[in-house]
Amino acid sequence: MIPLALRLTVAGGREALTRLVAIVLAVAIGVALLLATLAGINAVNAQNARYAWLETGFTPESRTARQGVDPLWWQVTGDTYDGKTIARVDLAATGSHAPIPPGIAHLPGPGEFYTSPAMSALLRRTPTAQLGDRYVGRQVGTIANSALPAPDSLVIVVGRTVADLSRIGLAERVTAISTTVPSSCSDCPAAIGINANGITLVLSVVALAILFPVLILIATATRLAATRREQRFAAMRLVGATPRQVSLISAVEAATATVAGIALGFPLFFAIRAPLAGIPFTGAPFFPSDLSLTLLDVLIVAIGLPVAAASAAWIALRRVQISPLGVTRRVTPRPPRAYRLIPLVAGILQLAYFTVVGPPETTGGQTIAYVAGFGLILVGLICAGPWLTMTGARVAARRARWPAALLAGRRLADNPQAGFRAISGLVLALFVTSVSVGVITTLVAAAGPSSGAATSGTMVNYFWRDSAGQLVSSVPSVPTSTITNLNAIDGVTGVTVIYQKPAVRPDQAGPDGLVLCAQLTQTPAIGRCSPGATVAAIDSKFGNGFGRRSTFDQAVWPSAPITPEALAALPVHVLVVSTNGSTAAVETVRTELENAFPRRFPPDTLSSISPDSNRLLAGYKQLADVVILVSLPIAGCSLAVAVAAGLTERKRPFSVLRLTGVPVAMLRRVVALETVVPLVLTATVSIAVGFLAAQLFLHAQLDQTLVAPGPQYYVIVAVGLVAALAILGSTLPMLSRITGPEAVRFD
Amino acid sequence: MMLEAREITFSFGQTVALRGATVIVYPGEILAVMGPSGSGKSTLLHCLAGILVPDRGEISFAGQRLDTLDEGARSALRRDRFGFVFQFGQLVPELTAQENVALPLLLGGTSRSAAMGEAAAWFSRLGLDGLERRRSGELSGGEAQRVALARGLVSRPEVLFADEPTGALDSLAGEQVMELLTATARERNATVVLVTHEPRVAAYADREVIVRDGRVTSAVSVAL
Repeated sequence: MIPLALRLTVAGGREALTRLVAIVLAVAIGVALLLATLAGINAVNAQNARYAWLETGFTPESRTARQGVDPLWWQVTGDTYDGKTIARVDLAATGSHAPIPPGIAHLPGPGEFYTSPAMSALLRRTPTAQLGDRYVGRQVGTIANSALPAPDSLVIVVGRTVADLSRIGLAERVTAISTTVPSSCSDCPAAIGINANGITLVLSVVALAILFPVLILIATATRLAATRREQRFAAMRLVGATPRQVSLISAVEAATATVAGIALGFPLFFAIRAPLAGIPFTGAPFFPSDLSLTLLDVLIVAIGLPVAAASAAWIALRRVQISPLGVTRRVTPRPPRAYRLIPLVAGILQLAYFTVVGPPETTGGQTIAYVAGFGLILVGLICAGPWLTMTGARVAARRARWPAALLAGRRLADNPQAGFRAISGLVLALFVTSVSVGVITTLVAAAGPSSGAATSGTMVNYFWRDSAGQLVSSVPSVPTSTITNLNAIDGVTGVTVIYQKPAVRPDQAGPDGLVLCAQLTQTPAIGRCSPGATVAAIDSKFGNGFGRRSTFDQAVWPSAPITPEALAALPVHVLVVSTNGSTAAVETVRTELENAFPRRFPPDTLSSISPDSNRLLAGYKQLADVVILVSLPIAGCSLAVAVAAGLTERKRPFSVLRLTGVPVAMLRRVVALETVVPLVLTATVSIAVGFLAAQLFLHAQLDQTLVAPGPQYYVIVAVGLVAALAILGSTLPMLSRITGPEAVRFD
Repeated sequence: MMLEAREITFSFGQTVALRGATVIVYPGEILAVMGPSGSGKSTLLHCLAGILVPDRGEISFAGQRLDTLDEGARSALRRDRFGFVFQFGQLVPELTAQENVALPLLLGGTSRSAAMGEAAAWFSRLGLDGLERRRSGELSGGEAQRVALARGLVSRPEVLFADEPTGALDSLAGEQVMELLTATARERNATVVLVTHEPRVAAYADREVIVRDGRVTSAVSVAL
């Protein structure tokens, strides 16, 4: 029986071959995307694991006393150059048996350093005053890729003397290199590293968003020539094939197509692996080898998918009883009922629930909650689509003035499932696009307008802040030479010293600092004094966002009852340097400040206190673009396959209509209306639900309100709909070709 | 007796097709079932062949109850002991003519080479030489019907069911098919149940029954 099934699958004529090719291609795309998703999760974990050694000093395992191990003085600093994070490790061995970090053969001695390849290149092409002067000594080697989170990671391991490093209060004595990944380390400051759990959440949603349209495409391709197949099965049943034999043939057909699709899907995955690795959706690109597959991944795809396909075929045939006289449905098809809206409403209610009670506390809980919510809405759109189509078609048929509208309306109302099936992929793609664009647009808006020169060029050096924003230390004064050096840098326009207000802790609300008004005029990005004031009270935090919103240039700080002489005697709290915003000026100032005040939290500009989050956001934007660019064409393919399948299925009734004098133009209008009516109706619902879901997610998870998308979104939607109509138009010439008089002949 | 339907009724939803039909088919005879359109004659044939199971009444084949068999057993019966020729060939379009003829044997577990060899013999017997590799769409109506006839006879059935076998053919092709059908059946001593509304076709039978409003109303013996 299996050879006969194989014979029918691979040599069953043009229609069967077309169907086979369509399924194979659809499965291949699905397999490639599934493998990419699995490999993406592996890559996030692999990258995360290579961040682990940079958490040394924060994790208990690295600080535990060990026999026979000479402790290593160790300090990790999240440095910055031109918006890019540099992981700087300062270390000093207390003996010859000190642990060695990965990626280097020996510990660097005082005055030596190792760099990553990207860091070497950056040092070579950057003037030393802007970067190289931060690292005294000479390069003695390159850090191997095995210790680098990403190909473009900027990492430097600097050798110091024990006396030098132990003097810095935040350096740790470590006895082992940490293997705890950042996402599992509760004590790590996350200055360097990624939140792998959060990224897995995003990746899960992305995978769902891409895989759904692919599943629709596979399902649509599987239904190609369904009537013909069912007739064939009926003929076989007539001559004695048992239902089990027919199911077996169907399962073999499905499994064969799936196996071929898998065989094509694996090379396709490896072909897209390198470009995929370049997408920095964790904030940094992957090494292509990071996108690797475990044996379990391969087995799941290579064995699980054919089994799933065969089972689906088996189940599908169980629903349709193939009688020797033709096909009879076990259940008389009934028009879809309003209860089909329940999953959609349930999905929306689930997301709404979290806006009331707040999101789950753990990342795992959030993953389950949001994936379930969005998944339910996706399923809900598929379930509700036929009902919406039927409702719209009934209205259209009632009000039809032309035969084409009447025919299309009645046909859609009689079989709304078939009408919706053609456009279901597009509807899902529009939902995914609306959610992605809605969320990303809002996040970008929340991050504030692109910083002006004033904020991006104003460097702030905090002396008190630690990871929790608590007072750690202050400096009694800023050396005059430092002020002189800063003022001497080309592009520096002013230096302002903010002193610690007596008896006020810096983490308390309200102005906590004092500033000389004559200096404040030189750094306008942090505001100005009230008229007549000599010394003003100033908020050294510049607002909760550390000035990211750049609103403090309009602040007017009140006068403080203290003389300039008394002010100069107070400890220094913050140093603010204003520049012209050029990279050269900003980075030279940063280098000067780092060398003058070496600290775990180096100085940064007002506008980019958190460059990592901005980069992550850019990565998400890129990922959303990938989702849209992948899901829309797949949906287009589904539409093309479904329309072609619909035409082929109905070639006989259409041919009879033509024989009775119905012009082809009218048949074209019927086919066009059958697509356009449900498309417009369900696309509108899909977009509305997409924005609603985005709003609920934003409100629950980030306490933000949806911001209307920009023109880019409308362009995408318009392009998607125009492409859909173009696809539809491209299939219409087929109509006159397949509905010739010969199609009426019974074979 | 070969086949017997006793007081069978069958409904398609609200529409009653058979209302207590009774008929006996004797071994080796060719029985013509006649009647106007919608009288229930095809439904009667489908019940006799085990394609449909009557709502009430009994069907027996060679002394064995057929209506109580499960779907698998009835499929096996159709495959091994019955043959079919319907108005439209019911050929599998993806298979060649020869593969279509071999299909019942393949379904029954015969090896491919043996089944194809057996099928090939029927092609020359029915004047179909040269058409073995054609698909159903490449055959004329008469050719397709003769291929269907070959398929109906290839497993050497005890009963051949023919439902309007010439309905889609012109008179010449129809006569050719009927002559082949009856001649081969007699040669093999196969019983034939022939549904038709054409007296010209019914004239090939040994006996006629007439179905009207779901009942077998009369039986006529035809002198050979």
